Amino acid sequence: MLQQLANGVFAGSIYALFAIGFTLVFGVLRHLNLAHPAVFTAGAFIGIEVAARTAIPIWILFPVVALFGALAGVLVERIAFRPLRGRDDEHFAGLISSVALGGVVIALLQARYGTDPQHFAADYFPNRLFEVAGVRVTLTQLVTLGLALVLMLGLAWLVSATSLGRSMRAVAENPTAAKVLGVNVGRVTAGTYALSSALGTVAGALLALNLGQAGRDLGASIELVGFAVIILGGLGSLWGAMAAGVVLGVAEALTIHLFDSTWKSMVAFALLFAVLVLRPRGLFGHVKVREV
Amino acid sequence: MSEPILEVESLKVAYGRVQAVRDVSFSVPEGGLLALVGANGAGKSSVLAAASGLVRPAAGRIRFQGEDVTRRPAHRRVAAGLVLVPEGRQILGTLTVAENLLLGAHRRRRQAAPESEMYDLFPVLAERRALPAGSLSGGEQQMLAIARAMIARPRVVLLDEPSMGLAPKMVDEVFAVIEKIRASGVTVVLVEQNARRALRAADTGHVLETGEIAHSGPASELLQDPRVVKAYLGVE
Repeated sequence: MLQQLANGVFAGSIYALFAIGFTLVFGVLRHLNLAHPAVFTAGAFIGIEVAARTAIPIWILFPVVALFGALAGVLVERIAFRPLRGRDDEHFAGLISSVALGGVVIALLQARYGTDPQHFAADYFPNRLFEVAGVRVTLTQLVTLGLALVLMLGLAWLVSATSLGRSMRAVAENPTAAKVLGVNVGRVTAGTYALSSALGTVAGALLALNLGQAGRDLGASIELVGFAVIILGGLGSLWGAMAAGVVLGVAEALTIHLFDSTWKSMVAFALLFAVLVLRPRGLFGHVKVREV
Repeated sequence: MSEPILEVESLKVAYGRVQAVRDVSFSVPEGGLLALVGANGAGKSSVLAAASGLVRPAAGRIRFQGEDVTRRPAHRRVAAGLVLVPEGRQILGTLTVAENLLLGAHRRRRQAAPESEMYDLFPVLAERRALPAGSLSGGEQQMLAIARAMIARPRVVLLDEPSMGLAPKMVDEVFAVIEKIRASGVTVVLVEQNARRALRAADTGHVLETGEIAHSGPASELLQDPRVVKAYLGVE
């Protein structure tokens, strides 16, 4: 039972990492970036390739992946969202164009890596096993949880205490007022996408590290659960996404423990349905990015 | 009075098919206080929106300190010293008072606590610095909006309806602040529905009607002009 809880927390931390990137862009810019799962998948492939080519240690690998992610985020905004700016249907059109861009990214990954899953070398990361109070955890799981925590707290700090974060909250509340105050809205937009996609690619690489491999459906496999996390936490809420990620991860793990894995998705979506009916603004009410 | 610091030439602003500003030209000398008055919908706010870079003019030119800034993005105009205090204050209600001020000061981030000098000018903001700006009263929010513009150390301040919706006592305070800004050497362009108050504070005035300048001249003369009195000032 305790073992299942722990497994749920580890899985949930990846859900949360996926979800905060997505929810950040929505919270600041009101964009639904549906290319996020594809960027997540790309992060996994990039992580595996860079690890294979350079054999750099893991604490350098993730910053490199994040850098790729940041660049990808800037491109996603440039390609899928910026050309639509100022249109009446800007938000809906962006949603569609980001779905299309996500498809292009997956096709590019397939062109480069083929259809077979890519693997981390078996000896890339020593997967030691620990036993704490009767719960077995792997080093990979500890790294996952640690990195997820650091990144989430780092993001919360950035949004609440830095000048970029202040500008992001200003743009989130009132883009016109932000402009009048001299905020470079274009740069804040690019920065938001860079952060979001950096988090997404790191989450993807982390999941691949946990699975030992990644296929091109990696993003699709987490997409629905990820979106459930976002809704559960309240769209645009960073703390909500973090908490909901863990809640869903644990709920899934317990379901597997009590019934079997075929029930896993059903519990996630039953939870989602219940929240939408009972608390339409998410478990955490109206808490938004700007209130972090 | 010297060289014009802000010049607006044959400005046209359109929203779709609606022409808000048809043909407006004026210039403001450095240190001057210009009032743009007129009825609702005469195009006063659109002139300021174009001057500050919030809307792109359909035609015409904006020159600031002798340079053509017509196509320059809004944040770069702020950096150059042309700052708008927008209509309806546009306070960031979920951010604290101090954060609102710091946003206005982000060109000066190397300086420690640039907001403190604004607290000297607006003591009421000092008391409320850690509160969400949305909790301030209307008058306090207007003070914050002005302070947020002044912290950028502008050369020209564009004030859009600063007295709108305020109690008479707050209106007095707002005009006292405008006098102070003016006295510090900063050029002011003031858009107001309260035409009498605005013209009393200004040295030059333009009366806008349906997107065009209908009357203009020294503010003291406009206050006496029977056509202006009849249409915009009423009997006192």
